[in-house]
Amino acid sequence: MDVLNFEYMIGLVPVLLRYLPLTLQLAGIGMVLALILACLFAVVRVLRIPVLNQLTIVFISFFRGTPLLVQLFLFYYGLPQLVSALTVIDGITATIMGLTMHFSAYMAESIRAAIVGVDRSQTEAALSIGMTNGQLMRRIVLPQATRVALPTLMNYFIDMIKATSLAFTLGVTELMGATQKEAAGSFLYFEAFIVAAIMYWVVVEILSKLQNYLEFRLNKAYSR
Amino acid sequence: MKTLLIGTLFALSLLAGAPLHAQDDPVRVGMSGQYFPFTFVEQDQLKGFDVDIMDAIGKEMGREIQYETANFSGLFGMLESGRIDTVANQITITEDRKKAYLFSEPYVYDGAQVVVREGNDEIQGVEDLKGKTVAVNLGSNFEALLRELPYADEIDIKTYESNLERDTALGRVDAFVMDRVSAAQIIKEKPLPLELAGEPFSKITNAYPFRDTEDGRALRDEVNKAMAALRDEGTLKSISEKWFGTDITRP
Repeated sequence: MDVLNFEYMIGLVPVLLRYLPLTLQLAGIGMVLALILACLFAVVRVLRIPVLNQLTIVFISFFRGTPLLVQLFLFYYGLPQLVSALTVIDGITATIMGLTMHFSAYMAESIRAAIVGVDRSQTEAALSIGMTNGQLMRRIVLPQATRVALPTLMNYFIDMIKATSLAFTLGVTELMGATQKEAAGSFLYFEAFIVAAIMYWVVVEILSKLQNYLEFRLNKAYSR
Repeated sequence: MKTLLIGTLFALSLLAGAPLHAQDDPVRVGMSGQYFPFTFVEQDQLKGFDVDIMDAIGKEMGREIQYETANFSGLFGMLESGRIDTVANQITITEDRKKAYLFSEPYVYDGAQVVVREGNDEIQGVEDLKGKTVAVNLGSNFEALLRELPYADEIDIKTYESNLERDTALGRVDAFVMDRVSAAQIIKEKPLPLELAGEPFSKITNAYPFRDTEDGRALRDEVNKAMAALRDEGTLKSISEKWFGTDITRP
């Protein structure tokens, strides 16, 4: 086995860094949309709103029960075959759609668990002083549920950042796609992929630090 | 009334102008960016024989070329769904592909080649692949070529997205099959212990596939015309010699 080509690795860092923003953008937009969708789903499930509840159950079942890569192929290659106008869905859009739906299905369940986990007496107390269902959710239940749900939601975000590496299959050159092409040009696979691995790792480490800080803030009211 | 008339005329002219306008749009060309030396990336620069030829064709046609890179297995899906107009990735003309797509005139004449790890004397050519594990690129026609052999069911064919050269060098597979020119180029320029096994076993011709539609046909004719001009003035030959030291654009 030949020695590692460090010169090549160092030269690759600025090249690959150019693709990191796209990776973060895909995951960032996907996370915001997935959070919104997941909150809606969770509320529908907790309040058992008729019809919507059943639809949500089917949605969650499908997007949790099929691989993300299959979903991406369905959105990108499958839909335009049925409706040719859907070719307007480009690789980036299809990736964000896939990430949003896939992860919202998971996140809906952990948000629901967090909401259900808020002590029943809290709800009773709020209702007894005349709060409406909406006020109860916004002022009492959701703030407490957020604290419980945060660690798992961060987990999903981290998972989502890494899941963006599937986007190159749809022609989106993000960090992984750029690495694959560079590696294929130089045949220095270990060097190329270890640089990419370190970049993902550093990003996730920074997020973990952010998570610690947020948990500290949210727990302030509970610490003595 | 007058405004309405002008408005209608304007709208009509836009509609009529739409197909004309398409001529000014860039030609979207798909490639994997992972098939040295035809299409590959170095320091963020897309390069290779296919890039140079396509650039020359674009210049000749007076149209901008816009490259879209994706894994090879996704390229035909992108062509099918209208995201790209053609594929420049050393696409071999096959009967099956001819049924689905229109092809330009060929621009590469080549052969299928067996490649093994340096020092592997057991495999001297395609007839020795019986009972061996052989790597090919996913979705490439080399898999079909192997399956046509009379002893095909005795070959264990493994398909790869990329990296099959490295796996052969590591000994995970006994051989890989690729076109002769790329194989020779990889052995010459890259630090992998590989060697050619025997002579090329099947002739292959590469061309650009287009969707079988009116627009696809028009673009194919435009590409053919540009390619013929480039052939006459010797541009195809000089690009080939730059990359391979020989002219692979003629039979």
